[in-house]
This record gives sequence, C-alpha cells and structure tokens, in this order.
Amino acid sequence: MILWIFLFLVFLSLTVYILQTLALRRKLIENYIPKSLPPVSIIKPLKGLDDNLFDNLESFCKQDYPAYEVILSLNDYNDPAYRIAQKIKSRYPNLVRIIVDNSSNALNPKVKNMISAYEESKYDYFLISDSNVYVEPDYLRKTISAMTSDTGLVTNLIIGQGGKTFGAKLENLHLNSFVITSVCFLDKFLKMPCSIGKSMLMRKKDFEEIGGFNAVKDVLAEDYIIGKLMNEKGKKVVLCSYTVKNINEYWSFRKFLNRHTRWAKIRWKIAGVKYFSEPLSNPVFLSFFIPILEGFSRISITAFILTVIIKIAFDLYIGRMIKSPLGFSSLLIPIKDLITAFIWFVPLISCKVNWRGNIYKIGKNTVIVPYEGNSSIKIMFNKLKTAITN
Amino acid sequence: MLLCDFHIHTKYSDGSMELKDVVDLFGQAGFDVIAITDHVVNGDSMIGKFAYKFRFTVTEKNFNEYIENIKYEAKRAWDKYGMLVIPGVEISKNYFSSEKSAHILIIDIKDFIPACESYEKIFLEAKRQKALVVACHPHHMKGEIRNTLYLWKNRNKYGKYIDAWEIANRDDVFNVVSVKKYPYIANSDFHKASHLYSWKTLLNCNKDVTSVKNCIKENKGVAITLFRG
Repeated sequence: MILWIFLFLVFLSLTVYILQTLALRRKLIENYIPKSLPPVSIIKPLKGLDDNLFDNLESFCKQDYPAYEVILSLNDYNDPAYRIAQKIKSRYPNLVRIIVDNSSNALNPKVKNMISAYEESKYDYFLISDSNVYVEPDYLRKTISAMTSDTGLVTNLIIGQGGKTFGAKLENLHLNSFVITSVCFLDKFLKMPCSIGKSMLMRKKDFEEIGGFNAVKDVLAEDYIIGKLMNEKGKKVVLCSYTVKNINEYWSFRKFLNRHTRWAKIRWKIAGVKYFSEPLSNPVFLSFFIPILEGFSRISITAFILTVIIKIAFDLYIGRMIKSPLGFSSLLIPIKDLITAFIWFVPLISCKVNWRGNIYKIGKNTVIVPYEGNSSIKIMFNKLKTAITN
Repeated sequence: MLLCDFHIHTKYSDGSMELKDVVDLFGQAGFDVIAITDHVVNGDSMIGKFAYKFRFTVTEKNFNEYIENIKYEAKRAWDKYGMLVIPGVEISKNYFSSEKSAHILIIDIKDFIPACESYEKIFLEAKRQKALVVACHPHHMKGEIRNTLYLWKNRNKYGKYIDAWEIANRDDVFNVVSVKKYPYIANSDFHKASHLYSWKTLLNCNKDVTSVKNCIKENKGVAITLFRG
C-alpha cells in the first residue's frame, strides 16, 4: 500500500516538474516590444567579496543604453568591495558613483545599504541589482522593454553559472532547476507575483506609493514584499524572460547550505501551509522513500533509479533551454535534490538566519529582529556577578 | 596602499588552481600586486623525489614555459584589473627534519635556480638576478608536523642575504620576526580559493616591480592586514 502511495506521489511530483519545465519554456519565448528608453539609475548594493565581483560590476558599465548611471553603495569604507568599487569608478568616472553611508536604522542590511544611494539617484526609473549578478550589454534595453504603463516592477530570471567547487556546483544546479522552474510556474500557471532581488526595475513614483524602503526596511525578503505591495496597489509585477547570470564559482558547501536554509525559512514564513506542497517538486526525494519504507526490492530500487534518470534528463533539458549546459555536474543532481529535501525540514525547527554575517530571527512575512543568542542567560550571569562583587 | 600577496601556488606545483584562474581570483578581489611562486623542490631527498614524481615542482625543463605563462598573465592582469603580477618561485629544501628544511621565496626571478644548490649559492644567484629574497614560514606553524626552521636557526649566518621574513603566513603569525625587528611581509601561501582570506601585505609605494621590491627591502610603508571577504 505504502509503495503505491509513494509511487503515486512520485508520479504526481514528476508531473509537477514537467509543468514547471513547460512554464519555463513558455516564459523563455516571451517577447516584449521595445518602446522608449528612459534614463535609469542602477543601484548596486555591495557587501564583501562575491565571486567575479569585478566583472559583475563592470558588466553594468557596458550597457548598450543611451542614458543611465551606476551607483555602487556600501556601508563601510573598510569593506573589501570598496577597493573594487574604486577600480570600477576609475575606469568609468562619468558613469559610476560610489556612496558610502551607514546612517540608516534599517535592519535589512541590503536595504540599509541602498537608502542613501536611492536618495542620491538622478533618474525616475531605478534598478536594484545584487553584486553577484553578471549581465550582457543588452540587459537594460531588454528589461526596460517589459515595463509598460501599468507595470510597477520588472524582475528577471536568474541562471547560476561558473561553478568550480562542489558547493558552487550544487548552488548552480539548484538555481537552474528548482528555482528557475518554480518562479516560472508561479508566474505562468498560478499568476502569483514573483519578484527576485537580483534584478528589480521600478519607477520611483510607484515605489514611493507603496512606502519606499521604509516599507521593507525590517523584513528579510524585501524583494518579495515589494512585489506583493506593488500587486496590492494594482500594478503588474512582470517576470521578464531575459535572464541574468548569478556567478557562483568558489562556494563552499557550507555557504550553499546557509543560503538555502535561509531561502527555505523565507518561503516558510511567506507561504505558511502552502510550504508543505513544496516536496512535490522534488521527485528524487519522494522516490528515495520507496526503498527506505518498502525495503530494497527490485521494484523499489527500479522506481528510485528511474526517477533519478528522468529528473536528470529534465534538468539537462532545462540546462539546454537556458543555454547553461550541465555536463558532468548533472551527476550531482540526485545528491543536490536529497540535500535540499533535508534542508526543507529546517524552517520547521528554526527561525534563525545568518545573512552576510548578521544573525536574525524571522517572523511572519519575514519581519526580522536581531538575534541576541542566549541573552537571558547572559543577563542572569551578569546580575549574579554584580551581586557577588558588591 | 597596495594590497599584495607574494606567496601564491598554482597547478605548476602543488596548488589546486590553474594560473589563469588564480590571477582572475585575485584580480576580481581587487588586489594590486601578486607574485606567483610555485615550488622548486630539491631532488636530493625522499620528499623531493616524491615531488618530482608527482610533478609538484617547477623544473629546469618547464621553467621557461612557466615564466612565459606568468608574463602573459601579467599583461592580461595589468590590462584588465590594473594588477601587477610578478614571477617568482619558492625554493623548497625539504627534509624529514624541520631543523634542516627551509623555503625561500625568490621574487622577480629571471633564470632557473636549482633547489639542491647550497644556500649561499642560491642567495648569491638570486642577488645576481636582482630578485627579492624572502624567508617564508620561518618559525613553528600551528598544526604542521614538518616546519621549515633552518633559516631561523641560522639567521646570523644567512640573515644578510634575506630581504624580508614572512611575519605571517596564511593564519600563522611569527612574532619572533617582530621581536628581532627584521623586515617583514605577510602572505597567504595560497594553494586553494579559500586561502584568499588570510594575512596580506599592504605597501605604500608605486605600483611597479622596482618600487615594490625597494619598499619591501627598505621596509618603510609596509603594513600587514588580515584579509576577510
């Protein structure tokens, strides 16, 4: 009986994955008619060294676009990214500005980083893009063409590229399968607004109508909340078919685990009970239970192996679609799927996240509060110490 | 100040990354000066023979190719990142005894120097080539079974040939170098990507090979920093 239940679940899961792949395929053939090319301020929040940082930043300075500016924003002159920001500025002095400011009280470090840059930006259209993103010269032109009068936010699909270590390979495999297909599925079939912080283009007028950075300064998933608020205001959130590259070359396995437990916690806090449907997009994980529960019989092993082969075949197909061939990395797909499946459980027991050195506890809608560890024990210890010394 | 690392290995010896990838990693991270210093190992010991067998060493045979490739990458790094790449080697005299072993960075090397030569000959040849001589990891390192203590033990004899001593190597700090007030630099002893985050040297000088070498020799305008991503 259990065998048949799980076989059904695996079948259902593979069907969901086929639909997700179909959603991606449909998304990628979407085209936009280019209209006007208004000037744009690109804001790049920097913190620490990302893989390929120099090239990533420079790619934004090589846009085939009539008028735009690039603002590199940091919280700290001592940030190692500041050196690279200076090199980029010296190469493109008329295009690039560096803004260093740490005065905001925002809890979200990315928002805190961008507030001054936003205030200093010149143009009515602005684009937020993470520092680990690399783009081609037609990026801005193609992205702005998806912006219509009733659109509040244009965001882009992301593709992971450049994996040279085990952690980076897992990261890119996950971005190029689960992440890219899930957002397309939500956008295409469920009509849910998906906004991805790696690339977000907006008009200042619309952004300020939803409360600007003030509305998202204390949430972890500022990108999702911005999209949600835009949608509630009646503005369209467009997932542009133009893909941007997230370069992950030398990630450690630990960094991979950290990012995906953080993202899983965000999804749990956003989706609530819907989060429990997520394992349905992981057929490898579901098929893994068949030999575990049914014993290592011929049918259970065959079911597992067959599912793994089908999943690898689909991921290879997706890799071809997004022009990011997987090669031998595809052999890591079942390992990655099993790891991410176990990560899925973490949000159910922990709400603590570590993001670029900051530790927070996250609540509903990803509202964050700084995590102070075992502060009550510390207070008690200090009181005891004072009592003894006095 | 210039952010520098003068102790970097590639796949030419026991590093895990290709020369091009190493140059890109440092360039993308905003470095100003690096020296590629693959091992040249002595072949007259068991450890040395092992290194030759598994090609963990630059040899006389591939030295010219090694230098040519560094020069090619140096030009690319300069054009793309404004980063100075200096060719070098790490003369590695390896023996089972730590007291007998020593590693010496020869920075801005021009011609091959065999590691099985005597210390005096190595130093004089390096001086003839106007290269910079650095005693690397000269004292006890944490977690290392085999240290390289020969130069420190014989500092009175060989100190005059050494332009600088590594005061820090990756995560280790050698306070004895500070106590003796010797000229110092700090390096990563880079073998893999995670070693990028380690001790580095900061120099207050122009970004050219002569100024960098002079700055280290005179040891004015030199600082060290623990580089974190």
